[in-house]
Amino acid sequence: MEPVALGQEPVTLSVRRAVLSALGPMERVGVALVLLITVVAALVPLIAPHGPYETVGLAYQSPAQHPLLGTDEVGRDLFSRLLYGLRSSWFSALVVVSAGAVIGLAIGLLAGVRGGWVDTVLMRITDAGLALPGPIIAIAVAVALGPSLIHTLIAVTVVWWPWYARIVRGETRAIVVRPHFDAARLAGVGRFRLAFRHVLPGALPAVVIAASVDLGYLVLTLAGLSFLGLGAPPPAPELGAMAYQGLDSLFSFPWIPLAPAFAVFVLAAAANMAGDGLRDLLEDV
Amino acid sequence: MRILGMLVVLWVLVTIVFLLGSVVPSEPARAYAGAGASPQVIAQKRKELGLDQPLAVRYVDYLGRLAQGDLSESVHTHKPVADDIAEALPATLELLFAAVMITVLIGLGVGVATARPRRGTGLLRGALVAGASVPVFTLGLLALFLFYYKLGWFPSGGQVSPGAATVSGPTGFLIVDSLLRGQPEVFFDVLWHLVLPATALALTPALLTARTLRSSLRFSLRQDYARTARAKGLRERDVLWRHALRNSLNAPLTICGLELGGMLAGIAVVETIFAWPGIGLYIDRSIAAGDVPAIAGVTLVTGIVFVFANAIVDLLQLAVDPRLRRLA
Repeated sequence: MEPVALGQEPVTLSVRRAVLSALGPMERVGVALVLLITVVAALVPLIAPHGPYETVGLAYQSPAQHPLLGTDEVGRDLFSRLLYGLRSSWFSALVVVSAGAVIGLAIGLLAGVRGGWVDTVLMRITDAGLALPGPIIAIAVAVALGPSLIHTLIAVTVVWWPWYARIVRGETRAIVVRPHFDAARLAGVGRFRLAFRHVLPGALPAVVIAASVDLGYLVLTLAGLSFLGLGAPPPAPELGAMAYQGLDSLFSFPWIPLAPAFAVFVLAAAANMAGDGLRDLLEDV
Repeated sequence: MRILGMLVVLWVLVTIVFLLGSVVPSEPARAYAGAGASPQVIAQKRKELGLDQPLAVRYVDYLGRLAQGDLSESVHTHKPVADDIAEALPATLELLFAAVMITVLIGLGVGVATARPRRGTGLLRGALVAGASVPVFTLGLLALFLFYYKLGWFPSGGQVSPGAATVSGPTGFLIVDSLLRGQPEVFFDVLWHLVLPATALALTPALLTARTLRSSLRFSLRQDYARTARAKGLRERDVLWRHALRNSLNAPLTICGLELGGMLAGIAVVETIFAWPGIGLYIDRSIAAGDVPAIAGVTLVTGIVFVFANAIVDLLQLAVDPRLRRLA
């Protein structure tokens, strides 16, 4: 056996083992789907049969007339637009999760390491953020900023970070009372290095777990906002917006609104299946 | 202490809404004056709206107007936002109330029914997770397609049938007024129109609640007091309903309260699909019109609804769990 540095090995190993043991059959399928979706989303420009704005034939062709899903209300290939929409939804959710986690991490670390009034003020703001209806505030911010995908991502991030800040701050408070932190502090390690080298590694697993649990919920929230017209303005291929625009064709060409609506479900279900077992883990961390 | 916390949250809400309404948009005056307005007209509109004042003055001014119930004027309806909201709120509260009832019923039913271990637990968990992953608009579209278009069981949308008698009553809630005015046929008509939108709105929160209740019930059923209850000969059903359930309600109640935030946003989607004449439809139209004052007003009102609903959840938890009373 390789000799391992004391003090590091048990932590990382137990986290990895805990995560693996939390993965039941459903979670494994979920993780596989999440990886598959990520690869497909990355390769969409290569595998989509047509461009998202390209008119390929008559409007309202059925799946039988034009493979694979027919054409939409202006004759664009629905399947290609679906793929591009999937790419946009998936990467948007990943971007917001990452941004929210990074902001929450910074604020939680600052509050937890500094303590005192900084902690009090930051956590009061965080609590107020958690006590307000996030999606509604996100709608308001997005409307105020004006319609664009970036603005929507900013708006959702604004309401998303408090929950990460809460988690990180809790982890941080638990770490700063441990002996290794005191030892480092007494050895004269600076605040910055203390936070990043001696606290961050301990707080990270909880953030990663929280982020993976969050992903599905974010996909749903972003798709809902896109449905309401808060996203990239038309004719951009966005799943929520496509479902909204297809509303008029629901009874005559039901696949036009239902295909993108179903795609959102697949994304959210994959993310939720992967994250579900981890949820319980978060409560024990 | 709790009331103080609530006041702080409400103050943060008011401040956010103020900042959104007056700082973020590039030029609120332009929105009022119209796209093609000349610089002079915009400058005059700025003065009219008080936008040439310093921010602090405007903030105090805003708080003053808010205290009088003035939420300024909507850009797209040209009516006071407060009036628009007052008109739309009852319909939305009816929908929300129905959805919360469905959430509690389904959440309780499914949670209790699936708490005891039996075969197919894995599949069931999968079904609950999948069910909680359906977007509100997917549910709405499917419900509309199946139950209105294919089966014809429910109406396509709106709050009442087009030919129904008009009821204008003291409360503004159609479902209450129709009973007060002795028009049961209108009452049942509204109920009939409520089924699809309320269910679409409630399904995801209901399944999340069921999942939470299920896991806390499973925890409670493993506790010593549950074993004691079984040992003294109680049937498993009584152990669950009389001993475990009350101890397991805290987490699901919290989830219910938090889910309300998602529901409030879901209302915009559901009301748009089912043409329900409430706040959600107003949100949808305001988004389309880029109507910042209207959205700001709606955010304020729904934020207050949310904060108060969660305060009620807190009180319910205290009622259910005496241990919390000692802490509080």
